[in-house]
Amino acid sequence: MNNVAFKDLLYKIADDQLILGHRNSEWIGLGPLLEEDIAFASMAQDKIGQCQAFYQLLNDMGETDPDSLAFFRHANQFHCCQFVELPIGDYGFSLMRHFLFDAAEYLRFDMLASASFEPIRNLAIKFRGESRYHTMHADVWIKELGSNTDDSVSRMQLALDNAMPYALGIFEESRFEEILITDNIYEGEVVLRERWIESIDHILKKTQLIIPDLAASSPKFGGRYGQHTEHLQPLLDEMSEVINIDPSAKW
Amino acid sequence: MSLDQLKPKQSLDQLPTFEVFVQPNESRNFQHEGIVHAPNNEMAFIFAKEQFSRRNTCSGIWTVSTANVYVSETTDDKMSIYDNVHPSESSGEENYSVFHLVRRGKQHMFACNVKATSYQEAIGVVKLSFDLTKPVLNVWLIKESDIFKSSENDQVIWNTLPEKQFREAIAYKGSEMIKKFKKEQSSNQNE
Repeated sequence: MNNVAFKDLLYKIADDQLILGHRNSEWIGLGPLLEEDIAFASMAQDKIGQCQAFYQLLNDMGETDPDSLAFFRHANQFHCCQFVELPIGDYGFSLMRHFLFDAAEYLRFDMLASASFEPIRNLAIKFRGESRYHTMHADVWIKELGSNTDDSVSRMQLALDNAMPYALGIFEESRFEEILITDNIYEGEVVLRERWIESIDHILKKTQLIIPDLAASSPKFGGRYGQHTEHLQPLLDEMSEVINIDPSAKW
Repeated sequence: MSLDQLKPKQSLDQLPTFEVFVQPNESRNFQHEGIVHAPNNEMAFIFAKEQFSRRNTCSGIWTVSTANVYVSETTDDKMSIYDNVHPSESSGEENYSVFHLVRRGKQHMFACNVKATSYQEAIGVVKLSFDLTKPVLNVWLIKESDIFKSSENDQVIWNTLPEKQFREAIAYKGSEMIKKFKKEQSSNQNE
């Protein structure tokens, strides 16, 4: 197995989870309903927990420790897609991002659950189970708001239209796409994207929401290789504010 | 201020409630845990999962609209609800799920399903069909078709629950750290 190619994949999975997990945790205490506040916060916590497992796997393969990966890299060293670093916006946008991102993540875990390399296969099987709840949650909300009142439909449509170019950035192809496919790690971003489109369409069909024309949507690429929006560095600065007071402190 | 400026109080924009039953593992019965506010059963389920199965283990969740839960009166500890119930034969095919409260301060637990044509008849069928040695203080009856149940396929969502140490305050070892710090502080002062 090609370690460089494999680590490339691990970095993008883990960085997506760290950043989106943190973004979603910004809703704590501000959710529309107590029960929803708790559920959304729990799922954000799950993402950070999963990220920690992937950073640990990277550490086992020779990269630095998880805390350093999380707190001591500059934005241009992060491999998350630009989608996850965007500010939380209104709750409709965050729900839409949750729906679009988690649908892809579930399918990614599903592919990796058959990977030829055991450590990632085991993590993927475990986290696919957690992800099943995340997608269940998102699907229920999208179906609810996507067909409820004119107000909810128009706001969710706007969220979908704004999110789509960034969501397509999830599937930015790796420099090692071919190797990962031939090594039987997973089936690659092109196939993942196709499955994702089917999956989101299946839910959106049940609503009044219209999926934007993907051929006309310009995907926001660059995140996988360090090109980020102006939002990422301030977010990282905030996340690492405490640890930077005394980087050598033991927690 | 004139009287014609007074308006009726706005009704609260509260969602209806759903009762939540949790099965900790497959060798135990479903037990009532509490309620969630939600517009429908599907949403009640996704809320219930994080409200009532955030920690420990879980193998299933049932949710039902509060309006579909039929409640008996409550007896005092010595008597059982069933003392004054006449046994009846079942005249119907509809399943009624029966939940018993056997001790004050505890929660209702699933007891059995019976076939009947009404809630009243169902309680009589329980009396006829089951050995009720322990006194039952209160009974809830719910039509099984009104209950939204998690499926076997859903069970994977709880697989990693026992490993999620990050959901336990104790895993952060806060008091250990504080004790250690205080010890270091006091030994510094003694020097």
